[in-house]
Amino acid sequence: MSHSLNEIEAMSKRAGRGAGLSWGLAEEAAKGTRWLSSFGFPGTEMLAELLMLNDRIPSIDVSPVSLRAEVWHAPARRMSPLIAGASLSDCAVRLLERGSITMENVSLPLLAVPFMGGAALRLGVAVAAEWDGARVATDGKQLCVQGDPEALEAKHADRLVFFAPAEMTGRREPVMRADVSADSWEQLGGFSHRTFAPATEESRLRGAGAGLSDND
Amino acid sequence: MTDIPRRDPNLVMRLARLGSIHQSRLSFMRVLTRRLAREGWRFEQTAFAVNDAGEGHAVYTAYGPERAYSLIAYAHDLPPEKRSDRVIADAWDATFTLFDGVPTADDIERLSHNIPVQEAGRVSGTELSVSRANRSVRLWEHVVSNLAEGRQPDVEQIDAVGYLMRTTAVYGSGKLGAADREMIADRPEFTAPFQVEMLSVYLTRWFVLDLVQHMANRRAAANGAEAATLSPDLARSMGIGNSTGLGMAPFLLNHPVLFNNWVAARENAIQAVRSLDAASAEDIVLFRTLVERSKLSIAAWRSEHPIQIEKLAGLRADVTKLDTYLAQNDLKGAAPWDRLYQWAEEALTLEGQEWIASLILEPYGALVDQFAEEMAADNTATFRIAGAMSVGDLRGLLNDIYAWAIGIDWQASENRARAWYVSEEKLEPRLGERFEEPIEEYEQPLAPGRDAAQLYNALAHWPDEAQVAEFLLRHPEHRHVLRRAQIVGRAPYAEIRDNTISDQVLPIDMLRCKLAFFGATQFDPRSDRWVRICMYGNAPLPKELTTENADFWVFPDAETVLEEGVA
Repeated sequence: MSHSLNEIEAMSKRAGRGAGLSWGLAEEAAKGTRWLSSFGFPGTEMLAELLMLNDRIPSIDVSPVSLRAEVWHAPARRMSPLIAGASLSDCAVRLLERGSITMENVSLPLLAVPFMGGAALRLGVAVAAEWDGARVATDGKQLCVQGDPEALEAKHADRLVFFAPAEMTGRREPVMRADVSADSWEQLGGFSHRTFAPATEESRLRGAGAGLSDND
Repeated sequence: MTDIPRRDPNLVMRLARLGSIHQSRLSFMRVLTRRLAREGWRFEQTAFAVNDAGEGHAVYTAYGPERAYSLIAYAHDLPPEKRSDRVIADAWDATFTLFDGVPTADDIERLSHNIPVQEAGRVSGTELSVSRANRSVRLWEHVVSNLAEGRQPDVEQIDAVGYLMRTTAVYGSGKLGAADREMIADRPEFTAPFQVEMLSVYLTRWFVLDLVQHMANRRAAANGAEAATLSPDLARSMGIGNSTGLGMAPFLLNHPVLFNNWVAARENAIQAVRSLDAASAEDIVLFRTLVERSKLSIAAWRSEHPIQIEKLAGLRADVTKLDTYLAQNDLKGAAPWDRLYQWAEEALTLEGQEWIASLILEPYGALVDQFAEEMAADNTATFRIAGAMSVGDLRGLLNDIYAWAIGIDWQASENRARAWYVSEEKLEPRLGERFEEPIEEYEQPLAPGRDAAQLYNALAHWPDEAQVAEFLLRHPEHRHVLRRAQIVGRAPYAEIRDNTISDQVLPIDMLRCKLAFFGATQFDPRSDRWVRICMYGNAPLPKELTTENADFWVFPDAETVLEEGVA
């Protein structure tokens, strides 16, 4: 079914929060999923898969141990692409200074790519990412993609390297609508639901401030 | 030009003041009607298929220089017990969508299965908004029955309510599958915020007037009689009501850059006018005229809510003080607007101050209307956290923006008595009692003051030279508010500088602020968390719209009121 990008962003934010991410990281997950969806990637499917994989685990376990390390790695030997990506975006200036940042054992590496778009916008130069059989580059607005869908949508990358500045070859423009699979929407909906307070009669009366008649 | 600074965000962004803001030249309804008139938009009713029970559909198309937009209205026969303004309602008297272009019969058929059920339906990228409205039970029957019996309805009854229907939600920007704002943001007619929604409501008002006349005609016909035609003056005096609940309060907190741009535009305008060295005779006459017309609106403003009753008493006293001031000051001296504003800040209540702050903009469209072009927002650039910022600089930023919050005792229960949450019932936003209801685990991030104070404390043992990227790696729980602090560092009016979860918080202050930017008047709080207003009351109907009447309609015309009063 065709969805608006705002719907995808709103659903992803709630789902991320429902799966235990902090609000700030849930916002990153939402912007990233929206961005991937706008380039025709199965953003909601991949987010749902990641949230199931890391459901309610402590973020620190799947975060880089240090941003200064030669190779970024996580204590759990499996790094969240959202947290790694957000850190990469936070380290945009460092990325340009170092020329590249290498990460080990990253789940669903494509989910880290939108953050590179943010870094590219901040730096004003294109940024690229490479992993097994896939290369993606962006200036934040357009995307160039090399690799087959299987490689791009890989569940795990042993090694993920980000470069800046990078070359842009063959540009893809974003679109304004996205097709979302019903399964992924339902899975994200399940996570989202955890953020909604159960309906109670008291909340129904007090919470929205009903009082004076609204049928007059 | 005198060198007048913009008003300090620490003065402007307090809830009590935001909750006293008045509409201005930059309000979204007035931006829209000025554009429609200036560009010579043409309006047409292209379908009206409603039966004797009031069920059916109608289409109203607005033709602009490059594109057309159509309001598709579905009318329903709603049993009285189903009528509710709450989000949790599931049926309405009328439902609407603003369609991008002119709909085909297939579009109208497709949408007839989706628009009447609102949140339970799906729309597509050709739909720009989804909305619904309920009748005012008090006024609807009065108008139908009088017209059906060949009489005009009673002016006093009309004035007491102000509208025949009130909208209870107007969804735009991607909701329910509609077009994202990004799809249409580059069209000049949608540069200013909420123009889709404002156009939808403007056309809705036309439909509602047609519908009430139709119902009167059918009732008269059933009795073998002929109904009176509603007088144009009475028709024009009625607007569209709106019932706004808690959902709008989080909106201001969730769109900080957009909110900044609204407030900054108005503040820039106020600064520009206060900086004028002198006022021309024409400007002074216009200002004085609009003060008089504005007084009629203030006199007619009714509310049953104790808080608003008190504020209105203050505002009416302020009106008297302004009369005295204007009797003694002819505004012909140096820097007249700055002097007037400064006097207001000393002498008047917040309602009165913000009334004056908006009113002094009126003679200066050529100077200030351009600021409306800057009221929209693209958040892409501001979303990214600047991770290379030092902890020392962040601390400085927090001290600048959140000093008021860092000083609050957040352990005291009264300072965090409430929590914002979303109910699973149609995702209705609600505000609950943190210590009395099991809601805390569902709390939304709508308490930036508390969160900023927590961030400030968490930074206490971090060295100034550390980068915030390192801090965030250890503390993802502060990522949301740290981003916010950086945004407010660039956009000083982005933050409400007040406690949004205290036992004293009045959500209606946030609702009032947003609705004032829409251009609403006569705010009537129905509790501390929902408010009724009227939109487009006294505005020319689409077919009457000209460049002469497109701007000042929001101020009642003394002569019109007098004539109606003796009719």
